[in-house]
Amino acid sequence: MKIYVVDNGGQWTHREWRVLRYLKVDTRIVPNTTPFEDISDADGLVLSGGAPSVASDTGRMGNNGEYLDRADFPVLGICAGMQFMCGHFGGTLGPGSTPEFGGVEIEVRSHDDLFKGLPDAFKVWASHNDEVKTIPDGFEVTASSAGCPHEAVACPDRMMYGVQFHPEVEDSEHGVDLFKNFLGIVDSARKR
Amino acid sequence: MLGAEDFIDDAMAAAREKIPGKAVIACSGGVDSMVAAVLVSKAIGDRLLAVYVDNGLMRKGETDEVRGMLSDMGINYRIVDAGDEFFKALKGVTDPEEKRKVIGEKFIRVFEREAKDFGADVLVQGTIAPDWIESGDGVRDTIKSHHNVGGLPKDMGMELFEPLRDLYKDEVRDLARMLGVKASERQPFPGPALAVRCLGEVTPENIAIVREACFIVEDEIMTASVAGRMEMPWQYFAVLLPSRSVGVQGDRRAYGRTIAIRAVSSVDGMTATYSKIPLEVLDSISTRITNTMKDSVNRVVFDITNKPPATIEWE
Repeated sequence: MKIYVVDNGGQWTHREWRVLRYLKVDTRIVPNTTPFEDISDADGLVLSGGAPSVASDTGRMGNNGEYLDRADFPVLGICAGMQFMCGHFGGTLGPGSTPEFGGVEIEVRSHDDLFKGLPDAFKVWASHNDEVKTIPDGFEVTASSAGCPHEAVACPDRMMYGVQFHPEVEDSEHGVDLFKNFLGIVDSARKR
Repeated sequence: MLGAEDFIDDAMAAAREKIPGKAVIACSGGVDSMVAAVLVSKAIGDRLLAVYVDNGLMRKGETDEVRGMLSDMGINYRIVDAGDEFFKALKGVTDPEEKRKVIGEKFIRVFEREAKDFGADVLVQGTIAPDWIESGDGVRDTIKSHHNVGGLPKDMGMELFEPLRDLYKDEVRDLARMLGVKASERQPFPGPALAVRCLGEVTPENIAIVREACFIVEDEIMTASVAGRMEMPWQYFAVLLPSRSVGVQGDRRAYGRTIAIRAVSSVDGMTATYSKIPLEVLDSISTRITNTMKDSVNRVVFDITNKPPATIEWE
């Protein structure tokens, strides 16, 4: 299974790569300016988080838009990656009413995909100033927190998934399980 | 660590290929640079010289401890006494990033000198992933410049070899245990050393204060952990704050410095939670610091911030 991690400049991009590597995935970090043709052999894609407010600064998000339009495989957007994904498909972004840094308790709304088999509520780590204000048509909210209503989103029809928090860091509970669930999604998409 | 044995073989092969002549390694005695030194020294033997710079900013007894470790591992090494040089360069510097840059620059000049003397054309460093991630690059914000990355001058006349670039501390510790490196369980210590635990200007006097306070924090926490009274933190130390506050010592007014105790749990340093140190342990640290260091410190506080939003070190 081959999954590229698109580097949008996050502090934890390399952690995403490490988690995937430990799950025995064939993985590589690629700059977000990489042409789509060079990553079109992927079975799945992770869009990393990024530097401050990168999601709304389209100049710094490189080819993320093209990846989202042309991907025929599952995509997981993390933090700025999820924000950009939502903005790209018609959602709106803005400064969070309560920025979240560090531990956050999330409530799972749907156990269908990324949260399959995970508890209804658990603690994750977040680090963001901005958030998704309204989600795009066709997307559903799959997790929320007290401070941020859109902690995770999914659009199974497009095979697009997003998390505002960071499952790749050690302090997030069930982070590796969430990645495993994403690999499950990637695996079933491959067999289709 | 995943595939540790292969990693060691590959790193040694890469060292042989990348270093046809001689190399120096910047060795602080921490687990990262010790592992890099052992790997490369196993590969190229005495064509590697480990250079430990005593910059005047190290912890109590540290230079002797590192000397012992380097001798034990049979590594060709040299200890350079450069304290005066560092303090001179740091005079008047208070901005944390500038501090890191000045120290990085000084380090590299010392290494260049030593490399020239030894005839080396490769600089080996124990850089690990968080070092270059936090130092920033074209797409990433600079959180803090790690001197082994952010401080390297463009005109450095040496090739760079960094065998541990893609690893995190927990993985390096695994390698250290496999290689029998004594530093495997040493707590992380920043490249700019006590300078980033001394907020404000770095003077020999301020460093002496924070050095003693760090020693007390380490000693008390180590004792409490070994006795099973608390979990051993990932990193634990003292920070000297640049402000003063009023106190009373034996019916006499005091106007002294404040020490912050910092202790965190972490796996890889990229996120961290503050350690839940038992109050009795905090109490013994506080009392011991304010009694034995009464001429300089009259207040002790405990840092209860996680990373993010804080970082582990204060600068």
